[in-house]
Amino acid sequence: MALLEVKDLRTYFHTDDGVVKAVDGVEFSVEKGKTLGIVGESGSGKSVTNLTIMGLNPRRNTVTSGQALWKGQDLLTMKPAQLRDIRGSEISMIFQDPMTSLNPVHTIGKQLVEAILIHRDVSKRVARARALDLLKAVGIPRAETRIDDYPHQFSGGMRQRVMIAMALINDPDLLIADEPTTALDVTTQAQILSLMKRLQDDFGSAIIMVTHDLGVIAEIADDVVVMYAAEIVEHADVYDLFNRPQHPYTWGLMGSLPRLDADVERLTQIPGQPPSMLRPPSGCRFHPRCPYVMEICKTKNPELLPTQRDPGHLQACHLDEDTKDREAAKLKATMAEAT
Amino acid sequence: MAQAATVEPETGFQPTGDELLVIEDVKKHFPITRGIIFQKEIASVKAVDGVSFSIKPGETLGIVGESGCGKSTLARCIIRLLDATAGKIWFEGRDITKLSRANMRPVRREMTMIFQDPYASLNPRKRVGFIIAEPLEIHRLGTEKEVKTRVQELLEVVGLNPEHYNRFPHEFSGGQRQRIGVARALAVNPKLIVCDEPVSALDVSVQAQILNLLKDLQDDFGLTYVFIAHDLNVVRHISDRIMVMYLGKVAEVANRNQLYGQPKHPYTGALLSAVPIADPELGRARQAIVLEGDVPSPVNPPSGCNFHPRCPRFHEGHCDVEDPPLYPFGDGHVAACHYPLESWPMTADEMRQMSPSPTGPNNGT
Repeated sequence: MALLEVKDLRTYFHTDDGVVKAVDGVEFSVEKGKTLGIVGESGSGKSVTNLTIMGLNPRRNTVTSGQALWKGQDLLTMKPAQLRDIRGSEISMIFQDPMTSLNPVHTIGKQLVEAILIHRDVSKRVARARALDLLKAVGIPRAETRIDDYPHQFSGGMRQRVMIAMALINDPDLLIADEPTTALDVTTQAQILSLMKRLQDDFGSAIIMVTHDLGVIAEIADDVVVMYAAEIVEHADVYDLFNRPQHPYTWGLMGSLPRLDADVERLTQIPGQPPSMLRPPSGCRFHPRCPYVMEICKTKNPELLPTQRDPGHLQACHLDEDTKDREAAKLKATMAEAT
Repeated sequence: MAQAATVEPETGFQPTGDELLVIEDVKKHFPITRGIIFQKEIASVKAVDGVSFSIKPGETLGIVGESGCGKSTLARCIIRLLDATAGKIWFEGRDITKLSRANMRPVRREMTMIFQDPYASLNPRKRVGFIIAEPLEIHRLGTEKEVKTRVQELLEVVGLNPEHYNRFPHEFSGGQRQRIGVARALAVNPKLIVCDEPVSALDVSVQAQILNLLKDLQDDFGLTYVFIAHDLNVVRHISDRIMVMYLGKVAEVANRNQLYGQPKHPYTGALLSAVPIADPELGRARQAIVLEGDVPSPVNPPSGCNFHPRCPRFHEGHCDVEDPPLYPFGDGHVAACHYPLESWPMTADEMRQMSPSPTGPNNGT
């Protein structure tokens, strides 16, 4: 049984301007010890998906449906007290911005100890020892003295390490990381990513990695979900996704990426802007920006279906499979040629 | 070009006289003061500490480095939004370092800037037409009617609808706003545009649109760019030559293929190997040089080579004592390192030899 199974998840926000369908029928599952990458542009619903699973959306004017089964129990219908027990111990979360997600008026030691004491019945001294162990595990130098420092005394990368220590402090089974490296420099990003990989090996946690960076996905994910306009457009194994992408949006994302290892004179650009979720386009939501648009795309939204070759590779596009394979091969060839 | 001919910057190049911009040993130190009435300078942040380079017309120079390496401060010094503490800036053979505000004004027509944040760099209370027309009005270029025609032409050039003349910035998306910023920078027909992280706030698909636009404009109008970014992929895509900065100093300058093909400075090597590759097979197969620790504080930069506390090729008694000059490697390729990399990519054996120093990194706070 999968650790987390999300079924037909929908989150609608009722605003003064109308209903914003932020997440619209998302399905995926996360296995123990595996990393699921969720990739998409801003506004594609990738963060809201995770906030919904964690029950962190504002309750007013939000309508949620579907299921998020955590070890068989539905997180969405759980009592708040029960959810609080799971949150922070069995499932924990790392947020994007390490500058604002720590409390500036408490030392990091106090914040780490608090996270333990909420979930476990241990003495303060035991909790502090545990906090110190974790700070060492995430590579904070001179952890014995730095545990009594305030967040502003740490750099961005160090603060993100503290956040990771806090997320891991109760040995979670699932770690949700929402753009954990976006605010950081490349060298710091490399440190944090290798840290996360190492900790996953040591602790055996599953990870959901939310990012807009296909490079980060390629480095760390086992399984990838590509989101566009509140829906999943493609879901595949990481090697499969990069070798044989099946959706025009995924092709666009890959083509628009300037690459270190490839010389491309002109980037393929996806025309236009991501749509407003107040009034999403009819039919396939990508059709106004899609270079392969057909009549059917304007009226009928394609279902997320397995490809004929590989039942594990899901995609939502009306194009026939031969065309898609041809285009994917072409994309792969231009990449290889440029390298 | 009488003045420029006397320049002999350390970067290994000899000004030939046809450079558009020459920067010589520019420093920018921000004082840290104590006291309320009698402010005493107790230290200074050495944001830019002796940078020299030159740029030819039609060329794109990319500047990369981590946050806090002084690249944005340098950009602001180039177009004199900040006054450099020391050093000289020549634009078209003319020393503009000490020009007065009034004398600087005609020069400002020739060099403009595109800012990082398309949300903060446009006045939310002004209409787009006004924002783009403002530089034209300041420099008194044309009658009211001519200005309006020019603005609509500019909107079209950057791929916006000329009808949107009367809209406010908030009615546009991030990518469209950055196009407005580009139109404003283009308005006075400049020769040089300094782009300070113009795409880092944008989504990848939109980022590609802006990068393509900048390239097209360069072809059409013969523009020269100084392109600042922390994303090495983006810099590689757009630049002819690239300068890597670390802690206010130049670590390496080379043309694009040399820098990405045979980096000489270990810091450049570390930066390159830290960039995630969007290909799981290539990305997971390669060896990465993972740097320990953080960038030290520019208030007290390390002695000798300022990269030595994090450097995998650190040699005690040399690197921490003697500040390396920019050694030439041919074809304008220079790097400030006593022990430059011999091969790239490095083999696993070489990597193992480069064990970090036992003293550990200096994690400045």
